[in-house]
Amino acid sequence: MRSALGKVLCLGKEMFLKQAFALSSITAARGSPICAVGSMTLSCKRHYRSQPTHGIGRFRHLLPVEVSKKKRDKVQMKEINVGSDHEYGDLNIQMTAYDMCLVEHYAQYVHKLCNRFSIRVKESYAMPTKTMEVMVMQEHGSKLTLDATLTTHQRVVQISGLSSTLAPILLEIIQSNQPEGVHLSVKEHTEADFMVRLKTRPELEELKAQMS
Amino acid sequence: MAAPGGWRGALWSRGGGKMAAPMQRGLCGGAGRWRGALGSRCLTAAAASPWRLLGALCLQRPPRITPALSPVQEEMARLVQQIEVEKSHFSDHEIRHLVEEEQLQKKKYNIQDEATDSGQAILLAQDLEDAWEQKFQSFKAGHRLTDADKCNDRTSLNRKLDRNLVLLVKQQVGSQEQWLLPQAEWQAGETLRSTAERVLATLSGNHIRAKFLGNAPCGFYKYKFPKAFRTEDSVGAKIFFFKALLQSDDMLQAERRGEYAWVSKGELGDYLKPDYLKQITSFLMDQ
Repeated sequence: MRSALGKVLCLGKEMFLKQAFALSSITAARGSPICAVGSMTLSCKRHYRSQPTHGIGRFRHLLPVEVSKKKRDKVQMKEINVGSDHEYGDLNIQMTAYDMCLVEHYAQYVHKLCNRFSIRVKESYAMPTKTMEVMVMQEHGSKLTLDATLTTHQRVVQISGLSSTLAPILLEIIQSNQPEGVHLSVKEHTEADFMVRLKTRPELEELKAQMS
Repeated sequence: MAAPGGWRGALWSRGGGKMAAPMQRGLCGGAGRWRGALGSRCLTAAAASPWRLLGALCLQRPPRITPALSPVQEEMARLVQQIEVEKSHFSDHEIRHLVEEEQLQKKKYNIQDEATDSGQAILLAQDLEDAWEQKFQSFKAGHRLTDADKCNDRTSLNRKLDRNLVLLVKQQVGSQEQWLLPQAEWQAGETLRSTAERVLATLSGNHIRAKFLGNAPCGFYKYKFPKAFRTEDSVGAKIFFFKALLQSDDMLQAERRGEYAWVSKGELGDYLKPDYLKQITSFLMDQ
């Protein structure tokens, strides 16, 4: 374009100047890259609003695309047990007690301890509360009277990738800080432990039984 | 044989716990590997390392009761409890109690309503509370300080219920008898942890139940023999400590040969030598 303009200017005088001006105005309207500057008004993607700072905080287009969550069960992950690095797989630290505050505080303590030791905590969840009614035989009579209702609370902290050198230290710390009344057990995570958390669907099972 | 021995010594003295696992794997088969690698350099025949290996057992009795709260902790606990009680809602039992109290008040003023109140519950909340109070009064908690504490009997397991107790024995080492954690020489073909289990078995004859928390040793101590005893093959000894928690409470004293003591961390200084003590206290938890 520039060369064409130059030729026109070199060749002629005023009679060609008008043509040259017309050409340059056309090129400007098309927004050619030669005359493009870094301002929003000249770029092609405007978000309609008038202010130049419109859309200044946009970030959603920069995030990775989220997969929409389906209502199916999440498949559990299984780690290598006692691999070449002598690591444990998924371990469940289960804490049960009658006192809810105590067991919750203890579960929080165990979780924070694992974070500080850089042990990966996969999941930290609570199992449903079990209620027990304690019936005592009356002294004068044969009736069973309700003495008390006990609620058992269980919290589980699931860790993975615990090295076998750190395991005895961690276990000893957890055991020595165990509060009174809290029962502690450390087990390996199995499919059955995962299935216990899910609710059974009796109608579905009935239908399946009818079908088979 | 200075080169391979010194190399190994430098590696192991760097840190007891961390290096132990790969080293332990290397112990049984590693001796062969090192020999092979430096075979061209070492002049003497492929002999074992000049260090004798021993496995020791740190048998701990975990505390039976929680330690007493310090005055600050007690005050805080009391204050927090008071705040909680004042902020909380009434429980079912308390609501029932209040309702029954109101009914009793009404009965005092309106005697004519006695006929309608004949269907009242026989057992009031107040009666229940009285029965529970009586049961609580008849309950007697055990003492925190036992008899063994009072007469400072170090051989019994019933002392210092709020602390960890470690077993110390008097064993013949070299020419003298010394107080130390029970140990035994490592034999070829077994892991160091099974050495520690063997120590446990010889102590009690399979009557003690103890739980080993893992395969990795918790501590390490290395010493050289006095010059008179050093030979080509044995320059010194390396002791690997394994921790086990005592599960059964009874220790049959009849099987015990020689002296033993259950001591807490603070009392270890009375029995052990300074260097040994320093290494051991690094893996014992406070209290």
